[in-house]
Amino acid sequence: MLSVRDLRVSFATRQGALRAVDGLSFDVGSKEVLGIVGESGSGKSVAMYSMLGLVRDSNVTISGSVKFEGREILGLSDREMQSVRGGDIGMIFQDPMTALTPVYTVGWQIVEQIRAHTDMTKQQARERAIGLLGEVGIPDPKSRVDHYPHEFSGGMRQRVVIAMALSCNPKLLIADEPTTALDVTTQAQILDLMLKMQESYGSSIVIITHDMGVIAEMAHRVVVMYAGRPAEIGPEVDVVRYPRHPYTWGLLGAVPRVDSKNRRLVTIPGTSVSPLDVPEGCAFGPRCEHRMEICDERPVLHGPGDHLDACWLSDAQRLAIRSARSVAGGAS
Amino acid sequence: MSDDVLLRATDIVKSFTSRGKKLGARSVATAVNGVSLEVRRGETLGIVGESGCGKSTLARCLVQLLPVTSGTVEFNGATLTGLSRRQMRPHRREMQLVFQDPYASLNPRRTVGDIVADPMRINKVGTEAEIGERVRELFATVGLDPASLRRYPHEFSGGQRQRIGIARSLSLNPSLVVADEPVSALDVSVQAQVLNLMADLQETFKLTYLFIAHDLGVVRHVSDRVGVMYLGEIVELGEAEVLYEKPLHPYTEALLSVVPELNDTDAPRRERILISGDVPDPSDRPTGCAFHPRCPVATAVCRTDKPAFVELRTGRFVACHHPRNLDA
Ligand SMILES: Nc1ncnc2c1ncn2[C@@H]1O[C@H](COP(=O)(O)OP(=O)(O)OP(=O)(O)O)[C@@H](O)[C@H]1O
Ligand SMILES: Nc1ncnc2c1ncn2[C@@H]1O[C@H](COP(=O)(O)OP(=O)(O)OP(=O)(O)O)[C@@H](O)[C@H]1O
Ligand SMILES: [Mg+2]
Ligand SMILES: [Mg+2]
Repeated sequence: MLSVRDLRVSFATRQGALRAVDGLSFDVGSKEVLGIVGESGSGKSVAMYSMLGLVRDSNVTISGSVKFEGREILGLSDREMQSVRGGDIGMIFQDPMTALTPVYTVGWQIVEQIRAHTDMTKQQARERAIGLLGEVGIPDPKSRVDHYPHEFSGGMRQRVVIAMALSCNPKLLIADEPTTALDVTTQAQILDLMLKMQESYGSSIVIITHDMGVIAEMAHRVVVMYAGRPAEIGPEVDVVRYPRHPYTWGLLGAVPRVDSKNRRLVTIPGTSVSPLDVPEGCAFGPRCEHRMEICDERPVLHGPGDHLDACWLSDAQRLAIRSARSVAGGAS
Repeated sequence: MSDDVLLRATDIVKSFTSRGKKLGARSVATAVNGVSLEVRRGETLGIVGESGCGKSTLARCLVQLLPVTSGTVEFNGATLTGLSRRQMRPHRREMQLVFQDPYASLNPRRTVGDIVADPMRINKVGTEAEIGERVRELFATVGLDPASLRRYPHEFSGGQRQRIGIARSLSLNPSLVVADEPVSALDVSVQAQVLNLMADLQETFKLTYLFIAHDLGVVRHVSDRVGVMYLGEIVELGEAEVLYEKPLHPYTEALLSVVPELNDTDAPRRERILISGDVPDPSDRPTGCAFHPRCPVATAVCRTDKPAFVELRTGRFVACHHPRNLDA
């Protein structure tokens, strides 16, 4: 469905080259939910937006390959890209107002979107808009279709955006922190809705989040990003239960849980690396407790089967570290 | 007031009056609607609830940054409500608020080192050298490079600014720290550092925390006892452990059931209870129990009678006509 190879995005800034995405490769299968997780500034959004031609900064350099259904979409013209975005690829953003215009009714906006990508008449598109609003759980869609975005609550607006993203039966949905701004009960409603829609529309989803819990609920596979690079990629169950990269250990151990007693949270020493100053070797090296000499060389993604990581530790070393930790009482 | 209670709030009400959409119409939003609670010395009382339920308003009422509409706040045996600014002054230093949004509270013209040092200078807690040393120490413990002391707030990321705010509020070693979403804007790894730091400081200086957050995991992690807020009211309060294991209020139960979990053990997942709809507007409060329009177990009585907030089991308070998990 989607195949990304060695995606690199860098911005020329006054302080030098800022490598926001630095060698990202992953695949998204048909009907698969892929989660991309990483801390703020790790390049999650830039990676997605650059693929979709949404990074128009004149200082940007993008390289690599992004194939959607076998067709190269990196470097498509604006016009070609516009027919892909909102058509075969739908998008959901953290702030629903990114996708909605305050001055038009939500119905008008969905109708425009549908008409830009199909040859439906205005009336047909309006019928479809009402149907979609009903599907995403907006009560009384027949009258709500003529309301303006500000007349909806945050959760309702995100539902409208989902309706809009689904309006052209996309094969791929890209959702950037779709529930980060929402409360937990609303988040549950929206995640539930996304999964239901994914089932009935048979689309694939790429969901970007910094919340490992959301990943665990939604994703089949996970990409863990650090400093613009993939640290670990694998099936969700494997990454959450048997994380391989020291950064993932830290990420998982740092999460305060609702389902377990107080324990000391695992912390990663130091602060996040500046994207202007990512080391040549392992990006996580300066903060890693298990750093070795070889870590000055950049590790490549490797691993058993489909669970890959970019770390120089051997399996034996990892095993030793993890068992030492569980003896000491650490959770991960 | 018994000795182990540091702060007691009794029936706090805070209403905001705003002009309605129609000419001349005024609407009253009751952001806090009759909250009573005690914070014990040395404990962490967590307050959890969804956006707009009144957590920040309650916090500001408790530390007297907002005048209450009615009710009383006692602190260290003294009644604070109704005190003048001057009479409040000796208590101020004892209760520090960590803000949800530190942007507004950091003076852009002062270096971050000065920002953290100022409360100590004003209160003359040491020589300039001692204060400087403490500032560097605070910087290091909140995860900031002490070499950046001379830089200005705009040179820091949001997360770093949040840490500067935390460092400042901890600088005077207050007895009560009211922390309003202190880690909500931080990445999980930084959040863990700050939570561990706050735990260390609590132990070292015997601090009492009132810790407000919408993140149920964070609140469980830090709290000895937890209060759950809904639409301006505390609907359940109890020991963190039991409240999370066997919630009494259907709202608590639903809230806990939908938190995304890591599923990294074989333990079965809680059954998800999706509650429909949105939180009602505080200016248009439902009759009876405020939660009844969204409650999966509501009956006729819930629509008409407001349930009292009672101690149903020792130390376990709830306001519900049909409490859950009672037999367990
Ligand atoms: N137009 C731009 N010019 C220069 N740098 C940029 C630009 N857009 C993004 N960046 C930088 O690229 C890096 C990656 O940003 P990105 O928004 O992808 O992070 P993210 O992982 O989505 O973080 P968050 O979780 O905060 O959304 C950051 O260091 C950011 O400052
Ligand atoms: N100064 C004010 N004037 C009018 N209404 C207010 C004012 N401050 C708060 N409110 C209202 O009171 C209610 C409670 O707000 P509050 O900020 O205390 O909620 P909260 O629980 O802290 O929410 P959040 O999690 O979003 O911070 C909201 O409906 C809010 O709109
Ligand atoms: Mg982003
Ligand atoms: Mg608040």
